[in-house]
Amino acid sequence: MTPLERTLLSLADDPLRLAGASAVLIALTAMVYYHKPLVFILKSLARNKVRTVLTALATGLFVFVVTLVWSVLWFLDLATQEKKKDLKAIVTDRWQIPSQMPFEYAGPLSEGAYSKPGDIRPTDSMTWQFFGGTLEKEKPTRENLVFFFCMEPSKVMRRENGKVVSMMEGIDQLEPADLDRLEKGLKMMEEDPRRVIIGADRLKALNKRVGETISVYSFNYQDITLDDVEIIGAFPPGQYGQNAVMNRERLNKALEAYKIQYGKPHPMAEKTLNLVWLKVPDTEAYNKIAGQIEKSPRFTAPYVKCETISSGVGAFLDAYSDLLWIVRYPGVIAMVACMSLVISVAISISVRERRTEMAVLKVLGYGPNHILGLVLGEALLLGCGSGLFTATFAYVVVTHLMGGIPLPFFAWFPPFKVPIDALWWGLGLGAGTALAGSFVPAWSARSVKVSEVFAKIS
Amino acid sequence: MQTFAVSPRLLGMVGFFALLLVALAFLGRVPLKYNLRNLVVRWRVTVLTALVFAVVAALLTVMMAFVNGMYRLTQGSAQPGNVIVLSDGATDELFSNLAYGDTSDLERDPPNVLRDEEGRPLASWELYIVVNQPIPESSPLHRKGHHRRFLQLRGIKDPVLSARVHGLQLHPGGSWFSRAGVRDDPDGGKDQVIEVLLGEGIARAMGTDVGKPSLAVGDTFELGPRRWVVSGILTSAGTTFDSEIWAERQLAGEKFGKELGYTTLVLRTADAEKAKETATWLTTNFKKSAVMAQTETEYYEKLNETNKQFLVVFVIVAVFMAVGGVFGVMNTMFAAISQRIKDIGVLRILGFARWQLLLSFFLETLLIALIGGLIGLAVGSLANGWSMTSIAGSGMGGGKSVVFKLTVDLNIWLGVLTFILGMGIVGGLLPALSAMRLKALESLR
Repeated sequence: MTPLERTLLSLADDPLRLAGASAVLIALTAMVYYHKPLVFILKSLARNKVRTVLTALATGLFVFVVTLVWSVLWFLDLATQEKKKDLKAIVTDRWQIPSQMPFEYAGPLSEGAYSKPGDIRPTDSMTWQFFGGTLEKEKPTRENLVFFFCMEPSKVMRRENGKVVSMMEGIDQLEPADLDRLEKGLKMMEEDPRRVIIGADRLKALNKRVGETISVYSFNYQDITLDDVEIIGAFPPGQYGQNAVMNRERLNKALEAYKIQYGKPHPMAEKTLNLVWLKVPDTEAYNKIAGQIEKSPRFTAPYVKCETISSGVGAFLDAYSDLLWIVRYPGVIAMVACMSLVISVAISISVRERRTEMAVLKVLGYGPNHILGLVLGEALLLGCGSGLFTATFAYVVVTHLMGGIPLPFFAWFPPFKVPIDALWWGLGLGAGTALAGSFVPAWSARSVKVSEVFAKIS
Repeated sequence: MQTFAVSPRLLGMVGFFALLLVALAFLGRVPLKYNLRNLVVRWRVTVLTALVFAVVAALLTVMMAFVNGMYRLTQGSAQPGNVIVLSDGATDELFSNLAYGDTSDLERDPPNVLRDEEGRPLASWELYIVVNQPIPESSPLHRKGHHRRFLQLRGIKDPVLSARVHGLQLHPGGSWFSRAGVRDDPDGGKDQVIEVLLGEGIARAMGTDVGKPSLAVGDTFELGPRRWVVSGILTSAGTTFDSEIWAERQLAGEKFGKELGYTTLVLRTADAEKAKETATWLTTNFKKSAVMAQTETEYYEKLNETNKQFLVVFVIVAVFMAVGGVFGVMNTMFAAISQRIKDIGVLRILGFARWQLLLSFFLETLLIALIGGLIGLAVGSLANGWSMTSIAGSGMGGGKSVVFKLTVDLNIWLGVLTFILGMGIVGGLLPALSAMRLKALESLR
């Protein structure tokens, strides 16, 4: 579905957006029908091109920053919003961070701790084991680090009835050619667990290419080194560009080999399972499965907890709540205030310079409200125009050309993209700040007294 | 309490600006009075333009206070003479694993480690765990949608020794937890409760659960499968320990799946130089186990990585806002010049040189910037002392949840002022150049 189709569908879904779109359509129709005031406004703006351009640039810059900030906040709010259907539940150690559970939990958890008739199973599941390491044992740096998600390759992506099925967000949005390559790579990983797929951005940082073989010295599984790790594919740049995936069998076999070599289990042997994701159809099923898991006597060393992913994400974001508060409230309010002030300055100067013109318009029969409307119209055109243009620019550049902006302190999120809704934000911001900033000068223009103006001239 | 010197670079820059402006204004015979009167006559536009500077300055002050507060916290946490030892390759305490059997000589072998009155090495063996605590339903936080919090639990072998190594004491009324680390339940429960020491910040945070400003000595709370009692409150303000809970190592480890070993060893030496020597010795000479030793100053400096990332984001936002503000002030000054073309012509005829006119309008812009900047700084400074939480981490996994205070100091004032004056310079230069280029007779026509 193209962005335009998505926008049109979303308009039909959301009454507010539909009202906004209708208002824009009515305004456009009115402008075409009453084109003379529009021509007058355009000529007024063109009279001082420097001022118009500077005001538009200033407004545009502020809209750009607010759009980026709101995109991040919008995405974080979406990630913490509870869904009602197609939920993902996450099972982790109840008390400890990082979550470390024995691998024998994997089977029963994947079944939702199904134990008796009446219990229900999740529609899909996925286990996660984390294996972090460096390519240079003596000098680990951020550039030579690689962090593998160890999982069943078929859970990353598979096709069922021709449809792409994946537990991982965004995999089904990949280009068809990338999907085909990924599918082929995952099958190769199933055949030989030494094979891995690493994201293109991480490969670039590691200075490695597809086809090369590496050794990984682990930092979270002490004394375990994985040799002959063959890079057979790459996630495209973007959402999974920094990630790496390994067949979980490789890690499990490495732990068994450790036991044989050293005669004792690895200290992490009973702590290797980090997360289990479960897909459930709705809230009712989630509550049932969560109850099955948390009451099961099989998960007591350690105890586990089951929560929705949005709840889990919310808990992590709590540590950043103050930072997000500063950005959301003082930050955005300050930026919107600046926009209003800049427009206010420009319109005030314009009105002061054109007092004679306002007086002449009144003599010609324009009423005070016509003049108010003309001045407000100038501000609105400037504000809405630059707001819409900048928001569109942000959407195209950030979302489509850059593939999103990664924020290092939210590294576990995909790169933040500007949503299509940003076009409404730009329009709304531009209109709102234009009205707020220009109302007082417009009222002052409305109140121009013809006799006073001509008395000064004479 | 540590004091922080004013950055000489910042002081130098602002001092240079100020001297230059004063020299140019007075020695340059610039018609400053004329500019000042114009600002007063056109006060509405002056106020609006100054407000743009004020808003940018206020926001920048608050953002820089956030970053400054984090820096002060990590700097304040480090003891210059301490050496922190983690297992080799661990990017954070959370991922470190020091098996005691292999590393017990770490406190005896290295040089320069101080000893206490009983001859014991000043060494703090610690087990650092991050634990999930469900927030009670009765808590106001739970009603706001916060259902869990992450707590930093530090299992300690000897609290007196550890506190001495980290330069911490107890607030009056508290006591160190006992050797056993447990006592009878003060509420009469049949199981014993685990004794803990709390940082001031976490005591306040957990106090809100029970409607108190802070948990106090004798209060109990639930964590994991046991109940815990507050034995004492650490004098931890301004350090990362403010958000920590200290308990007896064995008890803490058993409850949360880390029955054996430690994550961290901290050794106290006499000073920063000795600490550096000891850290180098440990990394290169200690062969019994693979360890990574560094001075605490270096360790906490690395924890500033996330802070640096915040700083980059804040600066980018501030730069965008500044450029927007610059366009706004350009608007004002271009309009001011176009309305005062005749004035400029008269000034030229009176004998003022072009460069003096350039300076005159330039200084007018800087004055608006200065007024707005000072107002913004004053408003932004109201945030000084606000309590905030954030994450301090090395950017390579792990990280500590910290409580700190926004700190507005002289460095912030000087930095924001420099930034605002920079905005004024960029915004005022083009209009001033256009005023300078006007021909006297043409402007009077």
